[in-house]
Amino acid sequence: MASNKIISRSVLNTLNRFQRLTNLRTYSSQKETLAPALAKRNELFSQEQRRQQEAVGRVEKIEVRYLGLPEDVTLAMNASISTPYNCAQHLSDGHCKRSALALKDGNVPWDMHRPLTESCTLQLLNFTVSDPHLVNKAFWRTCSFMLGAALQNSFTDDAHLQLHSFPGPNIKSGSFVYDVVLRAQNWQPSKAELRALSAEMINLASKDLKIERLDVNNELALEMFADSHYKREQLPSIAQQNQGRVTLYRMGTHIDISRGPMVASSRFLGKCTVATAHKIANEGEKDALYRIQGVGLPAGFTLDHVAYSTLEERAKKLNPARLPNEPFEETQQQIA
Amino acid sequence: MLRSLIVDLSKLRLCPVVVTQVREKGHLTRPRLRNPYWFVRKERLARDTTVTPENKTFLQEVIKDKYGPPALIKGIPSYDQSALIKTEQFERQPWHEKARRCGLIARKIGQYPLWLKNGERIRTTLLQVVDNHVIRYIPPQEYQPAQRPSVVNLNKYGCLLVGAESVDPSTLTKEYCGLFKDSGVMPKRNLGRFIISPEAAIPAGTPLNVAHFRVGDFVDVRGKTVDHGFQGVVKRHGFKGMPASHGVTKTHRRPGNIGGGGEKGRVWPGTKMPGHMGNRWRVAKGMRIWRINTKYNVMWVQGSAIPGPTNGLVYIYDTILPLRKHKTAPPFPTAFEEELEALTGGRDDVWYEDVHDFKNETITFQPDKN
Repeated sequence: MASNKIISRSVLNTLNRFQRLTNLRTYSSQKETLAPALAKRNELFSQEQRRQQEAVGRVEKIEVRYLGLPEDVTLAMNASISTPYNCAQHLSDGHCKRSALALKDGNVPWDMHRPLTESCTLQLLNFTVSDPHLVNKAFWRTCSFMLGAALQNSFTDDAHLQLHSFPGPNIKSGSFVYDVVLRAQNWQPSKAELRALSAEMINLASKDLKIERLDVNNELALEMFADSHYKREQLPSIAQQNQGRVTLYRMGTHIDISRGPMVASSRFLGKCTVATAHKIANEGEKDALYRIQGVGLPAGFTLDHVAYSTLEERAKKLNPARLPNEPFEETQQQIA
Repeated sequence: MLRSLIVDLSKLRLCPVVVTQVREKGHLTRPRLRNPYWFVRKERLARDTTVTPENKTFLQEVIKDKYGPPALIKGIPSYDQSALIKTEQFERQPWHEKARRCGLIARKIGQYPLWLKNGERIRTTLLQVVDNHVIRYIPPQEYQPAQRPSVVNLNKYGCLLVGAESVDPSTLTKEYCGLFKDSGVMPKRNLGRFIISPEAAIPAGTPLNVAHFRVGDFVDVRGKTVDHGFQGVVKRHGFKGMPASHGVTKTHRRPGNIGGGGEKGRVWPGTKMPGHMGNRWRVAKGMRIWRINTKYNVMWVQGSAIPGPTNGLVYIYDTILPLRKHKTAPPFPTAFEEELEALTGGRDDVWYEDVHDFKNETITFQPDKN
């Protein structure tokens, strides 16, 4: 029947178009074998994590005063072991699921899975608090971080993708950003490729991957990022500003450098679109630096398509954040 | 009755053509309950509660920039798109008798009497053409509908998609709004397909006016009849019922006998019985247009037999009745905005020649001199 032919033809066309993506492979849900460099990085991360946990020694007790709903309580927690997430577990499952970020002593944003070291007051923040600017910034930073993971998963080996860095979050600019280096000097992402990248972001969000934080010294960080030329370049200056320590974040198997804080998990990302990629500069003869931009909403927030397309249009404009090939001033904020 | 008063019924043709549209179990009249495979959900179900009032006003500004400022166009709340839509220049083809023009989407807004110059009072129904814009033209080679309309030689005709009543796009789904992306027209609440000859194609974005039809033209009006619900045989099929008294026991509005006996001793299929009445598409054919108002895009059509309730949607077509078809060229393919002045002679109201214009002096009759 004519109508049946039309159905199958349109479905086939969609499949063909999706499979014929240049520079991208369709995402496979299970990575059977990690690249050796990535596997080593994860191994070192896990080892250091275990070492730091075992180095705690004698467990000391701290008093964590939780302020908020349903009531203010004082919790007896373990120093350098208990995290705000553990405090939330004492409260309820709803607190665990809904809290994106913790606020220590009323003014210090703290990752949910980062151990508390001393007695303090604690507030658990979600996206519906009256003053959400800290959570929003953490969310935007996490989106950039996840974009790096999505790019790493999506590009084929021929593209020779190298992640560079991402600048500090600026929600008013209209987009979150990740700067990458590709072995292509005039790459323009097609609509299908952008859609595939957005799908990869949503994929990561649906996996509900915990985002873990780790403080390491400069040498270990250099060893972990032995394969990445650009990351190794940034590490000395970062360590110098941070008393010889470098903050790393891990989500699944993706590890990146960031000042933090990040939200508790990838599931806090709701709607997401990778909007565009702007070429910044050429790097050598074959490579070029690109700025990938996207926009997203936290989970649970709905917008009609008119409003969301307005956001997408805005995200297509080149983000004015500091470019990685520009010399940065000492007074400006570092790589966030 | 005065002898000087001559009523020429045949000349005026006051009665619409009465075609008995029988309530049948036909597959053509049964409501279709499954959506076709290309169906696109129209309304957005989710309602945003997290948008701040400032952002809401900002989004209204965005819509205003895209579609034009909100304005009352010909009595209908709409958006002023005159500055935004550029309809491409196209060559107008001349009209010929076999040419099929597009129609209009209107709302039945009420009924009103009009008087002829001889004093005859006629009942008319007002139909207002509500913010029609052409959305898309599909040429004959591409137009292959899943449910073919009963038109002879359909492969020779194209399809014109017309929309009525602009609506705020944020209340609709993205897929439905995608239908209007190419034409640049504001998304519409109602859509209608008109089968047309390729010569009658109109570029997308063109507004359609009531001056598309002329006074004195005959139109077919298609509408969904008033839904009476489950009705008995007396109302549904016009059965006489039984007397109210005189010993009649428990049988006043019942159908009575439903069949004979003998060899075929069963109830025949199609026997008239109580059931659902109304809510069916029906076409009233051969309705004359007595008057047109271009300021509010309203037309007065003959009689009260327009299907549907007041404020119901109707589709208006050129009549297919052979003796009432166009003999002279109508505005082909349509009456464009620029030509309205010339067509109507600069007036808002256009009256058929036999109709008494309310602005004129009252009709008087001379006494018979015997």
